[in-house]
Amino acid sequence: MKRSPIILTCLLAFSATVLAQPASLKIEATGAPELTLHGKDARQQLLVTATLADGAVRDFTHQAAYSAAPAGIVNVDANGIVTPLADGAVTITAEADGVKSTLAVHVEGAAHEAPINFANQIVPIFTKAGCNAGGCHGKASGQNGFKLSLLGFEPAEDYEHIVKEARGRRVFPASPENSLLLLKGINSTPHGGGKRLDPKSDDYALLVRWISQGLPYGQESDPKVTKIEVLPKQRTMTLKSEQQLVALAHYSDGTVHDVTRSALYEPNEKSMAEADEEGRVKLFDQPGDVAIMVRYQGKVTTFRATAPLGATVASLPPSHNYIDDLVFAKLKAMGMPPSEPCDDATFIRRVSLDIAGRLPNLEETQRFLADTDPVKRDKLIDDLLASPEYADYFANKWSALLRNKRTKPADAPMNFGFYDWIRDGLRANKPYNVFVRELLSASGDVAENPPVAWYRQVKEPQQELEDTAQLFLGMRMQCAQCHHHPFEKWSQNDYYSFGAFFSQVGRKPTTTKENEAIFHRRGIATAINKKTKQPVRPAALITGPMEIPADEDPRIALADWMSERANPFFARTLVNRYWKHFLNRGIVEPEDDMRETNPPSNPELLDALAQHFIEGGYDLKTLIRDITRSQTYQLSAVPNHYNGPDRQNFSRYYAKRLTAEVLFDSINEVTRTPSGFPGMPAGTRAISLPDNSFNAGSYFLTVFGRPESSSACECERTQEASLAQALHLLNAKDIQDKLASDAGAAAKLAADPRSDEEKLRQLYLIAYSRAPEARELELAKAHLDKPRKGTDGMPLDAAKSKRMGYEDILWAILNTKEFLFNH
Amino acid sequence: MLTIPGLRTGRFCDGIARRDFLKIGGLVMGGLSLPQILRAEAQSGIRKSPKSVIMIYMAGAPPHQDLFDLKMDAPIEYRGPYKPISTNVPGIQISEHMPHCARIMDKLVPIRTMTGSVTGDHDSHICYTGRSAKGVVAPPGGWPSIGSVMTKLCAAKGGEVPPFIGLAPDARHPPYGSPGHPGFLGPSYSAFRPNGAGMSDLVLNGVTSDRLADRQKLLASFDRFQRDVDNSGLMSALDVFDQRAFDVLTSSKLLNALDVSKEDPKVRERYGKGDPKNFGDGAPRNNEHFLVARRLIEAGARCVTMNFGRWDFHAKNHSELLTHLPLFDQGFSALVEDLHQRGLDKDVAVVAWGEFGRTPQINKDAGRDHWPRVGCGVVAGGGFKTGQVIGATDRLGGEPVERPVHFGEVFATLYHWLGIDLNNVTLPDLSGRPQYLVDGWQPMKELI
Repeated sequence: MKRSPIILTCLLAFSATVLAQPASLKIEATGAPELTLHGKDARQQLLVTATLADGAVRDFTHQAAYSAAPAGIVNVDANGIVTPLADGAVTITAEADGVKSTLAVHVEGAAHEAPINFANQIVPIFTKAGCNAGGCHGKASGQNGFKLSLLGFEPAEDYEHIVKEARGRRVFPASPENSLLLLKGINSTPHGGGKRLDPKSDDYALLVRWISQGLPYGQESDPKVTKIEVLPKQRTMTLKSEQQLVALAHYSDGTVHDVTRSALYEPNEKSMAEADEEGRVKLFDQPGDVAIMVRYQGKVTTFRATAPLGATVASLPPSHNYIDDLVFAKLKAMGMPPSEPCDDATFIRRVSLDIAGRLPNLEETQRFLADTDPVKRDKLIDDLLASPEYADYFANKWSALLRNKRTKPADAPMNFGFYDWIRDGLRANKPYNVFVRELLSASGDVAENPPVAWYRQVKEPQQELEDTAQLFLGMRMQCAQCHHHPFEKWSQNDYYSFGAFFSQVGRKPTTTKENEAIFHRRGIATAINKKTKQPVRPAALITGPMEIPADEDPRIALADWMSERANPFFARTLVNRYWKHFLNRGIVEPEDDMRETNPPSNPELLDALAQHFIEGGYDLKTLIRDITRSQTYQLSAVPNHYNGPDRQNFSRYYAKRLTAEVLFDSINEVTRTPSGFPGMPAGTRAISLPDNSFNAGSYFLTVFGRPESSSACECERTQEASLAQALHLLNAKDIQDKLASDAGAAAKLAADPRSDEEKLRQLYLIAYSRAPEARELELAKAHLDKPRKGTDGMPLDAAKSKRMGYEDILWAILNTKEFLFNH
Repeated sequence: MLTIPGLRTGRFCDGIARRDFLKIGGLVMGGLSLPQILRAEAQSGIRKSPKSVIMIYMAGAPPHQDLFDLKMDAPIEYRGPYKPISTNVPGIQISEHMPHCARIMDKLVPIRTMTGSVTGDHDSHICYTGRSAKGVVAPPGGWPSIGSVMTKLCAAKGGEVPPFIGLAPDARHPPYGSPGHPGFLGPSYSAFRPNGAGMSDLVLNGVTSDRLADRQKLLASFDRFQRDVDNSGLMSALDVFDQRAFDVLTSSKLLNALDVSKEDPKVRERYGKGDPKNFGDGAPRNNEHFLVARRLIEAGARCVTMNFGRWDFHAKNHSELLTHLPLFDQGFSALVEDLHQRGLDKDVAVVAWGEFGRTPQINKDAGRDHWPRVGCGVVAGGGFKTGQVIGATDRLGGEPVERPVHFGEVFATLYHWLGIDLNNVTLPDLSGRPQYLVDGWQPMKELI
């Protein structure tokens, strides 16, 4: 394990160059054994794959030399793009290092210019060139009077705007090259967006031909794209290597066409890879998994690349449960040795912060460190889960996500009631599906049924559907309100059909002023699709329309669907959310963006967690127990020689900064100066605050990013660093007062008759849950013993000097990364 | 994190492509925090853009027809008692109570047709974001103001001065005291407020500078925690901000900038003093804020906002106006002249405006009420084409008849001028949706 990283790098470089001799080659086009090209416009990107002597697979598309026999039928360029020249049969050969592979190709109708279909051939040009992007002509208001539908989702509207609007001035069939559309596109007439088209390109030629053909729209019977496919679907690649992709569109008439140059490519992890306009993926030097989203005409698919680190995983720590089996299997496949298991001191601090949102206290730490019971970690987990702080901490999390927001003082009873309902449910370990069902189907007055509060905050069916989708199903549906979701299969119809579950939410005034009761309004649940103006029935994304009788509350049907064991979203979303809470990174990241084009880094792990969660009856505490008992969770945060760059395979614990509330409480704990909040009992911890209304009075909580409960996104809790935070922690009067308080830790430590060494040991146990190292003790003692002068320049007496010394040491501890982070 | 859709390169402030940032020094891409960008910029030796913005919110909305758009052809019950005066630009006339602005009209651009307020409710929001606070769809968390956007997208100019400073003290009517909110960008992008929470963090609290230096040393020797346990960039970002915080605390640059007594008395006299007390439930008429704004920009701030007075004259419009307009005229014109004299007029853009205009007809209390159909604003500096008027209203000053200008267009102009690619740069809101900085507005051709 102590092998030098330099040697490893050399090995990797060695394997990448010397061993890259192909043992065999394979040339492909569409995956079919033969390729047929129809018509003059047909193009085909070839894919050449080499299998090396060691069995590894590499892309050779751009290394291979191409030839075609007989000559004159097709042209193959150096990038492996085939262009038809004449009808006939031809064999294309790819050759590299003396190894060959061939592909039989038929060309039909090479002289034939098929009538152009606007939607299939012209619109993708605008998409590729960025004309219809959200920042340009694709935005709702268009750009400088010319509007295109966003990403070409509405070809009929685009046709209208190009051909008919503005009295047809944009296109000029008598002299196609002089069409404004083209003059602007090539920027020969000044164009705000600059040059988007190359007059020498195929795209330009096709546009010219389309205009000269008299601007055909195409026939109703013309084939439509039914799905897109990418070759290869996945690949194990070496770091910094490249892979050519082939994008294929399947049409309703059964034909398949190459659209590699028309499709758009986007990696989900921009730190790992980039993809160019021709579908060439380039990995950077970060090991892990990356997905390249391929988009064409509202259809999406993904290419998945795995870039192993390639180190030898000589030994693994003992597996504790199924989680470890799956994580370690992945680490082995990635060649990524995990860090060592963490020590007891790190563990008690880590797990107390993660489950109970607080530092372990001195007694707990001392007892735990001295305990010789081999299952003491499991016991500690159980103790923490049974503690009221567990419920406080997770109620704090859920209260923000469920928008328990104080918008006016009169909301207070509702806020308290809703918070208590959440907290009590967590305390009693109410099954998660029951929790969500009670919330979504809440009816009545908030005083009798607290979860009604959610409907009081989330007032419109659209908001209700968006929050529900994002919170409980990991789907960000917002985009589909106004247009087809760019990164997803969801259409506007899916959006409004999902919203129809909330169409029968009735609201009526109650006897209390400004109060509102929620009830099920009898009727057939229906929503109007704002695009088509047509009514739609409730449908839960993948279910198809549901028949719900008029006197049944559609929200119950929705909750039923969520609780179905086979529901692919509900349990996965929750386990991913909780996984991130503990491991600081979702298996899908971000945790509420679980679209197909953003795949999990370890799908088997996500499935297993979801499966266990469902089978265990949606038991949240069991889920937490499974996660925190795992060796994976208990790995050290300190990287070894190899796994430093790991950001998604959990080969070590990813350190995270304490959240605003936890940091606030922890500072109070270490300085022994409890804080109060207006209207709350003395000593109330920030972690137990019921709603956001306390942020306004606490600059600390605001500046460290305690959420305002105004969205269903965890991201509202900002974890970004800022200058204001640094200034506050280093210099705020509040903090200074805590350090200098007569009742605080510095005063008490200075007055304590024990030796400095004893006191420092205790301080370290409280702040870091560990004993100080000899070096640290020396530093601290030296600082305490240093002679000090007062503001008047006179030497201070010993007691005062010592107290100042302890203030400084406390201040320094609070500002160390070791304190600020859970690690 | 910043996302830029499509394949074309988006540009930050300073016209630097994102990709250029990312390639610098082998920096890991993705999830770039501000300090990472700063460091990347520092490493690459890219020259920082000196461009900055000063925004002045005339809280409560001034009467446009009594400032820049006098309607002498309107009946007396519309036009009020004030006369227009000529300016140093032939053909442009403004209120007789703005003699200083008249003298430097060649350095100003009055806009007579500001539009955009949907509901006519009082809010600073539209003046700081370009979007009406009410009557339009807002993402969860709300729209970020220009100072917050600049904090996110533009490199800081200096380590010792925060990039975004809001001079407005809190006001009894909260929007009048807002320096512009960070919206969905979150509190890390808030304004520093010398008159609000957090200001006390900028001066040492019961600790001498010697003791702070001593503590800094102690911290450095204590804080040996392995930085490589975190590869998200957060820990190094904290280190960078800690360093900057020490710079702020140990250099007196920020405090000096805030201290107008350090200024030449003659210069102070030009700005006037005004009144540091809040005017009713509004902002103060603090002329020194104009001077402080200039000093802060010189010290390295990117965006300074200030709120001035309370112009909500529902009664006695014309006499009340005299409690505000002459002070504003003096302070604002002094700022613009000063920027020119110091050669900052190309690098600093100044905008002053209220949230809407006021009713053309004078009401029974001799006041003017809210009039969201048209209002006024004034732009200076930035190397813009000054000495012209943009827009015209009808005979009564009630409707734009020529070139209505939406608040968003001015923001588009500023962002464009700062070097931000409006067509490609987006900021993700709390639902993950990429949001453009302005709603499709284009930079104003008249200005650039």
